[in-house]
Amino acid sequence: MAGFQSHHAPEDCINCEHRHLRMFCNLTPEALVDYDKIGMLMNHARGAKLFTEGDQARSVFVICEGQVKISATSREGKTMILKIAGPGDVMGLSAVLANVSHEVTAEAIEPCQVKTIRKQEFVDFLGRHGIASMHAAQSLSGEYLTVFHDAKRLALSGSAAGRLARLLLDWGSAAAPGKPETRFTMALTHEEIANMAGTSRETVTRLLNQFRRDQLIAIKGASMTIVKPDALERMTA
Amino acid sequence: MHAEPHTGQPESVAARPLAELLDCPPETAKLLNHSAESVSCEAGQIVFAQDAECKGLYVVVSGQLVRRSERMGAHLTLGPVRAGELVELAAALGGVHHSYTLRAVTPTTLLLLPKPALAQAFDSYPPLRMQLLEELAREVSRAYTASTVERKMPLRRNPGEAHSA
Repeated sequence: MAGFQSHHAPEDCINCEHRHLRMFCNLTPEALVDYDKIGMLMNHARGAKLFTEGDQARSVFVICEGQVKISATSREGKTMILKIAGPGDVMGLSAVLANVSHEVTAEAIEPCQVKTIRKQEFVDFLGRHGIASMHAAQSLSGEYLTVFHDAKRLALSGSAAGRLARLLLDWGSAAAPGKPETRFTMALTHEEIANMAGTSRETVTRLLNQFRRDQLIAIKGASMTIVKPDALERMTA
Repeated sequence: MHAEPHTGQPESVAARPLAELLDCPPETAKLLNHSAESVSCEAGQIVFAQDAECKGLYVVVSGQLVRRSERMGAHLTLGPVRAGELVELAAALGGVHHSYTLRAVTPTTLLLLPKPALAQAFDSYPPLRMQLLEELAREVSRAYTASTVERKMPLRRNPGEAHSA
């Protein structure tokens, strides 16, 4: 999961100082004024479910602050974490546009502020603004690639260490894009990390301890720093 | 190494399925027809390779292809692609590189709509962009389903061949 910098939650989209950092909300002035008028900002407590797998898709959700766990349930009832969404991510978009039920469940793993936009309102907004449509396409494309690479990582990666290393690198790059030091907050349990890496909780605990002993990573409380990204990268090759 | 597929300007009849599929007004259809390239492949030829730069959106006119992804010498067959299907919409609209390799199983003809023309049509004709967004959303939905299926399969520890629906 990406550890995002803590920010003060914005009160509206026009005055949001983080807008330019976020893919979907970085709109032209005209589109931004329109975007600010639609939907509503809502705060969600940790553990709150924004939507549940199988629910009718009635709204699109854009994360302003906080992190949201995206998961799906197998036929055997096992919960599978697909990704951790962060600020600027759009949730529920594929289900709304494909006119299908939500394929996944979205649950806040920390207090979140989310802009909730009703389906028709969002579709009309896309129709009015080409740039918003392009951002929506990029968001969908990113969602597709995330799911695709996630499945590929599980199907084709040779070792649990490689899969865990890939996860840590992905979270690190999402938390601090382009920065030499990648530090992020670990908001998931070892059980949940194991679920994402396709391994057991015991293996995750053992590997994280191993990575720490080898000084590939540093862990302080809930904060993790990737010390040797190149070494982790080699594990994933 | 693989042989490069033959590319060239399509005949108007070959370009028609794209315009019909996307149901465009004349000016947008003209833009698409003029910019589209016909791509012909023999069985076994690779249309595009995984990690190669995406040139645009492909539409299968005839024939059958297969999508394959690979990592560390292990292969994952992602399923067939048939006539009428849009290929790599996600990469054409939002990505840069192909996420898998597309190989012809039978003699195949495709239309390639280059990214700049696609972006221009996307921008100038709102109904087209909504249709493409809806198709992309369905592609994401299918990926979620495939991902769930994939996680039910035992993990492969050794390089080899793995198949998914």
